[in-house]
Amino acid sequence: MKYSYLWLEELSKTKKTPAQLAELLTMRAFEFEDMRTEGKETQMEFSILPNRGHDALSHIGLAREICACEGRKSLPTFNVSRLPTLNAGNPKIDIKEKKLCLRYIGAVLENIKVSASPKWIQERLLVCGIKPINNIVDITNYVMLECGQPLHTFDAKKIYHIPYTIYQILIRKAKKGEKIKLLDEKTYELNDNDLVIADSEKPIALAGVMGGFDSGVTKKTTSIVLESANFNSTSIRKTRMRHNIATESSYRFERQIDPNLAEMGMARAIELIQEICGKSARVVALADVYPKKVNPWKIKLNINYANSLLGEKIPVAKMKNILESLGLNIKTAKNILDCEIPTFRIDLKTREDLIEEIGRIYGYENIKEQPLCAETKTPPQNEKRDFENKLRDILAGLGFSEVMNYSFYSADDIAKCNLKVEDHIEVANPLSLDQQYLRWSLAPNLLKNVALNLKNFSDVKIFEIGNKFQNIKGETKEATVLVGAIAHKSSKESLFFELKGKIEELLTKIGYKNTKYQILDTKHNIWHQTRVAEIKISGKEIGRIGEVSPQVLRKYGIKQPVALFGIRISELLEKIGYPEEKSYHSVSKFPVVERDISMFIRGNTKFNEIKAKINEAGGNLLKNIELFDSFEKDGQKSLALRLKIGSDAKTLTSAEIDAVMKKVISKLEKDLKVKVRK
Amino acid sequence: MLKAEIQKIKQQSLEEIRASQSEKELCAIQVKYLGRKGKLTEILKSLKDMAADERKIVGSLANAAKNEISQLIAEQKKGLSEQVNWEKERIDVTLPGKKAETGSLHPITLVYREIEQIFSSMGFEIVEGPELETDWYNFTSLNFPFDHPARDMQDTFWIKSAKKDLVLRTHTSPVQVRYMEKRKPPFRIIVPGRVFRNEATDAKHEHTLHQFEALMVGDNVNVGHFKHIASQFFSAFFGKKVEIRLRPSFFPFTEPSFEFDISCAVCSGKGCPTCKSAGWLEIGGAGMVNQNVFVAAGYPRNKYQGFAWGFGIERLAMMKYKIDDIRWFESGDLRFIEQF
Repeated sequence: MKYSYLWLEELSKTKKTPAQLAELLTMRAFEFEDMRTEGKETQMEFSILPNRGHDALSHIGLAREICACEGRKSLPTFNVSRLPTLNAGNPKIDIKEKKLCLRYIGAVLENIKVSASPKWIQERLLVCGIKPINNIVDITNYVMLECGQPLHTFDAKKIYHIPYTIYQILIRKAKKGEKIKLLDEKTYELNDNDLVIADSEKPIALAGVMGGFDSGVTKKTTSIVLESANFNSTSIRKTRMRHNIATESSYRFERQIDPNLAEMGMARAIELIQEICGKSARVVALADVYPKKVNPWKIKLNINYANSLLGEKIPVAKMKNILESLGLNIKTAKNILDCEIPTFRIDLKTREDLIEEIGRIYGYENIKEQPLCAETKTPPQNEKRDFENKLRDILAGLGFSEVMNYSFYSADDIAKCNLKVEDHIEVANPLSLDQQYLRWSLAPNLLKNVALNLKNFSDVKIFEIGNKFQNIKGETKEATVLVGAIAHKSSKESLFFELKGKIEELLTKIGYKNTKYQILDTKHNIWHQTRVAEIKISGKEIGRIGEVSPQVLRKYGIKQPVALFGIRISELLEKIGYPEEKSYHSVSKFPVVERDISMFIRGNTKFNEIKAKINEAGGNLLKNIELFDSFEKDGQKSLALRLKIGSDAKTLTSAEIDAVMKKVISKLEKDLKVKVRK
Repeated sequence: MLKAEIQKIKQQSLEEIRASQSEKELCAIQVKYLGRKGKLTEILKSLKDMAADERKIVGSLANAAKNEISQLIAEQKKGLSEQVNWEKERIDVTLPGKKAETGSLHPITLVYREIEQIFSSMGFEIVEGPELETDWYNFTSLNFPFDHPARDMQDTFWIKSAKKDLVLRTHTSPVQVRYMEKRKPPFRIIVPGRVFRNEATDAKHEHTLHQFEALMVGDNVNVGHFKHIASQFFSAFFGKKVEIRLRPSFFPFTEPSFEFDISCAVCSGKGCPTCKSAGWLEIGGAGMVNQNVFVAAGYPRNKYQGFAWGFGIERLAMMKYKIDDIRWFESGDLRFIEQF
């Protein structure tokens, strides 16, 4: 809220300059935002905390804070005459919704002259950022800025009432479909949860939010109905959000206001109207309906608890002084502060609320740092996070850089990657259509990264570890996954094996054994139909590796092949668990011999089958099989393998080695119809 | 007389051999002394004309000299053959190195790691929770009443769901209640994680952010303890003594609540462009856990005390690495990431 420095100075009698006040209040109460000085006056803006709207969104409220922060007990006041007592029953106020309207004071004033308000009022409104309109409207705004009570005035002649002498004011819920044109000159269709002020015929104001256009005060107005009321904060908030109308009034009511303030607001407004709006202006009728009076309440605070929570030794007298300076009534009995809370401090409900008041006025900077006296124990490790960090380190070592992408993408991405909209979770209020769905897969955003980076880099290797979100027939599921991609600017070759090599290294380094890759013939979403495999660990599928469908890539403007892999981390840890600790196996003391073997194979023979047969034939003398060449010629596939042969028990003779090779070759020839080149 | 001559030849030849620079030169030396008409060969040839006594003495001397010379020639020859032509080997060391293949980790990961290391060393456990949260954990259990202006402080992404009120968590605090439901005090935890705020992005604002939360609960945990842990942490993080400043604030889940500032890590509080001459940097929010939150987690009211605090990782990373635009973090742009 924007405050007038001169006004605050007048109410609080502070001797501090605006800059000093800004510093003081920032450290003890509310954060200073900005100020602007013109002549003697300074506009000061403070950010009032949401739980203090009910008292501090007013000059008197902030002046009270200033006094307390300066350690003065003199509470700022201004003299307000009491409400005039007139015949009850006029206006006839009928609160139909007692939970939504806690109090309603209505007064009828006659012989009003509407004109421009005096300069001093106009100036103060302007400093506080409110545009002057006419004396009646300005006075209601002035009173609101002064004490925090929003007011409203109706042109009395425009309120329909029979008999003519008695005004009828109804506080009721709107009827469904009922319409009202408000002061912003827009017509609103009301909901049956909206609270309205109505005459016996129609709504004349959207309660606590904005007055009706037709019943508004104009230059021709000579008599008014003045409203000072208290409305339920939740109801005001819902109406304000429903119709998207935020006003100074709704802002305050939404933060809940003390019903006892209505009386001060009304008295102050009457006083100012009589002073300013015509010498013969007078109150002809006034009624105050206040079914359930709010009284001060009590909280008992043990000073030991206060000191224990703050970590200080603040003496009881000091605590008492602080609370009294804020307007509380305090009685002390030994260690107990018996506090009576004034009704304007709605936020003070618990002992901790009082401790906060003591702490902030005492000054948090005066609270000393305290080392812990805590048990020294090593905390349990977050194994999942450690695991993910290991993956990150290995991937970085393999040349991958880590990206982080939004958790959202668009319906367009879903279509581009051939995913299903019904698998996705939709955001009800997305920032834009680009961010309408939670990511079901990390791949679409990663492909965008690839497209972007291929513009600047010849090699792109990226990965992301993040959560994906699934909609499984209405049930939501969230799981952590690792996804990575590689692409080269100038290469049109398959990248499958380059990526596979890296993933094999990743899984081996982190400690998984028994990793297998199984061909997956899938027409599924983004994959290249014939270049994709399941990644299996201990027989369980935990991810996929393959090339991205060129059709999908084209939609992202990528001309080069892209290889992609995904590993479902949550599922991996759940189904297989963390890798076992690595264990050392002895290194053979005897020499290992290398023998090469090259062969032509039949078109559908898989490397895995060849490897299995060689292992079978070679037994435990076969130490390793490595593919060092492969090509295709005249429709025939050729493979060249290097076998390592050795024994853990002795040095093999060449006859023994030859025997192994012979067994291998005959096995391949017999079982797989392989033609070994000799 | 002849003895001295042999001695001289030997001396001379050995010197020449040692001084020789090439195999060719060495060859000439060999011819000069041991060749068919070589100086030593001449003496050996003349042996046959000597008396038996003299021949025996001179012969053994001359043969010894011959052996010694031959041996040194062989040694020198071996040395010369292993010599390197350094000039021929010369390279331009200013040519660029071959590109090594290592990737970079995201700066957010790097900052998280540093933070986690510091807190782990102070005995804090690292705990995580879901990004897709229920209204209960994100708001209600944290003492945010329904339809209360406090909910406006955190612009929220809501999820279309028929079954539950789901949100993308607006802070990491839901993990407080999730953790406390399962564990009893005393404990110290930290909660890293991704959070979401429904607000338009610009150089300073992002809808996807990373946060950090610390929660410590026990019998008498107090504001002084919080100040201590916070100053320990920031001093370790910035590698110099950092002051903590608390200002009043409001969060539904803490009472009292603070905004906390740290003395500017760049200028140590003297005033500079980073802190806009204020000497202080606004870092995050904190407070003493509201008893209603303990109750929501199933603890008895008024039995425990604790502090909670949270702050944004992006802000720390931007300070640490002098990054000027928050949108880089989620850009996926390697021109940014490769700098780390």
